[in-house]
Amino acid sequence: MTTTAPAYDALHVGDTAPPLVVERLTRTNFVRYAGASGDFNPMHHDDTIATSVGNPSVFGHGMLTAGLMARVVKDWFGPTALRRFQVRFSKQVWPGDQLTCTAAVIAKREEDGERLIDVACSVTNQDGVEVLSGTATAVAA
Amino acid sequence: MTTTDTDEQAAFLTKLRAFQGTEAGTEVGADPVNQAMIRHWVEAMGDQNPVYVDPDAAAQSVHGQVIAPAVMLQAWVMRGIRGRPAQGGSPRDELMGMLDDAGFSSVVATNSEQEYDRMLHLGDHLRTRTVIDSVSEEKHTGLGVGHFVTTRVEYETTEGEPVGRMLFRILKFKPGTGRSAAPSDDAARRPLRPRPALTQDNAFFFDGAKQHRLLIQRCAQCGRLRHPPGPRCPRCGSYEWNAQEASGRGTVYSFVVNHYPQVPAFEYPLAVGLIELEEGTRLVANVVGIDPSDVAVGLAVEVEWLDEDPDLTLPAFKPRA
Repeated sequence: MTTTAPAYDALHVGDTAPPLVVERLTRTNFVRYAGASGDFNPMHHDDTIATSVGNPSVFGHGMLTAGLMARVVKDWFGPTALRRFQVRFSKQVWPGDQLTCTAAVIAKREEDGERLIDVACSVTNQDGVEVLSGTATAVAA
Repeated sequence: MTTTDTDEQAAFLTKLRAFQGTEAGTEVGADPVNQAMIRHWVEAMGDQNPVYVDPDAAAQSVHGQVIAPAVMLQAWVMRGIRGRPAQGGSPRDELMGMLDDAGFSSVVATNSEQEYDRMLHLGDHLRTRTVIDSVSEEKHTGLGVGHFVTTRVEYETTEGEPVGRMLFRILKFKPGTGRSAAPSDDAARRPLRPRPALTQDNAFFFDGAKQHRLLIQRCAQCGRLRHPPGPRCPRCGSYEWNAQEASGRGTVYSFVVNHYPQVPAFEYPLAVGLIELEEGTRLVANVVGIDPSDVAVGLAVEVEWLDEDPDLTLPAFKPRA
């Protein structure tokens, strides 16, 4: 939970952050995120509607997974370091899933006087299937 | 993976694409950035950093005051549970209504790209300006047959100060037409494009493509750009490399239009270009959005992403607007 960004010179391509593991997602997690974000698409909390269109159950908001992923970057570089966060939701996330969020440095560059770190982001489920991939750009000290 | 469009499909796509570039209206957040919503958010994320919720701790931090999590940007102007008006909605409402009426009634988010200009503080009141960026042709995805709809949202304070922006892509699809469902027509049985042979040297390129970023390998020692990716710099011999994001703009350096032999995963005639990027490297990619017989050397092009299937996204190039 550091608020001090790691030093630019001390970071290298391939460096990784401590992964964040969310042990077991529940419907409560989805409902809490719906309330926090204002995203009340019923696919995420109403099993009757979700199953009526062929889903086995409700599934998680993509932006919930993105928010969990962003925590890893925030814990690494501090709450104000994030400049850009780009994600692709490749698979749905279901109640009971365990998510592992990982981040690794893929590039270092200077732009407009800021020392930027590009980080590859990945979230996998308990089967090792990637549910989110992305890139974050953060400012390093 | 385009289908052989029926006239009806083509006409529908024309109607959908009339929305491209349309201003979809301004919305004002229901409340300014506030402590209660920040608390709900960080609890949902399991984030216990006091800078979000403890004014005393935040005052002593480098930030000097409570800040909102950057990734919470979208939440400050989220429409919530109010739903779409039956009539008199924005162009976005109209577009979504047209898709719903045509059976594309389910929705999932597929991509989000946010940029942050500054941290948000308690009392910042945000509004958005939304532009419908693009509507894809009909695609067969794992979830079902649908159209990708991409919007660009600019976030600013009610005083007009820009604070960030978001590109958001959703898939509007017909429920029950996914890969697990029985193929509904020949197009659904079209084979997938051949998979690239992924190596530790080229995986970044395809990972970047999935995020709609055109990445070029760059020697970490001498800075030379190279494509296709390889393990070693042809100029200085270094094995160290990183990647640079390309602008996506270029010109057709050379091309062929392939008629035969026809591989089932592709549509013919197939325009294959050697694209010279602004950055100087060249790459081979399909040329789309133009009659293949009109492709010419020197044609100014820009990247267009082909989301072929959930596991494969490839760059193609279309004539520059």
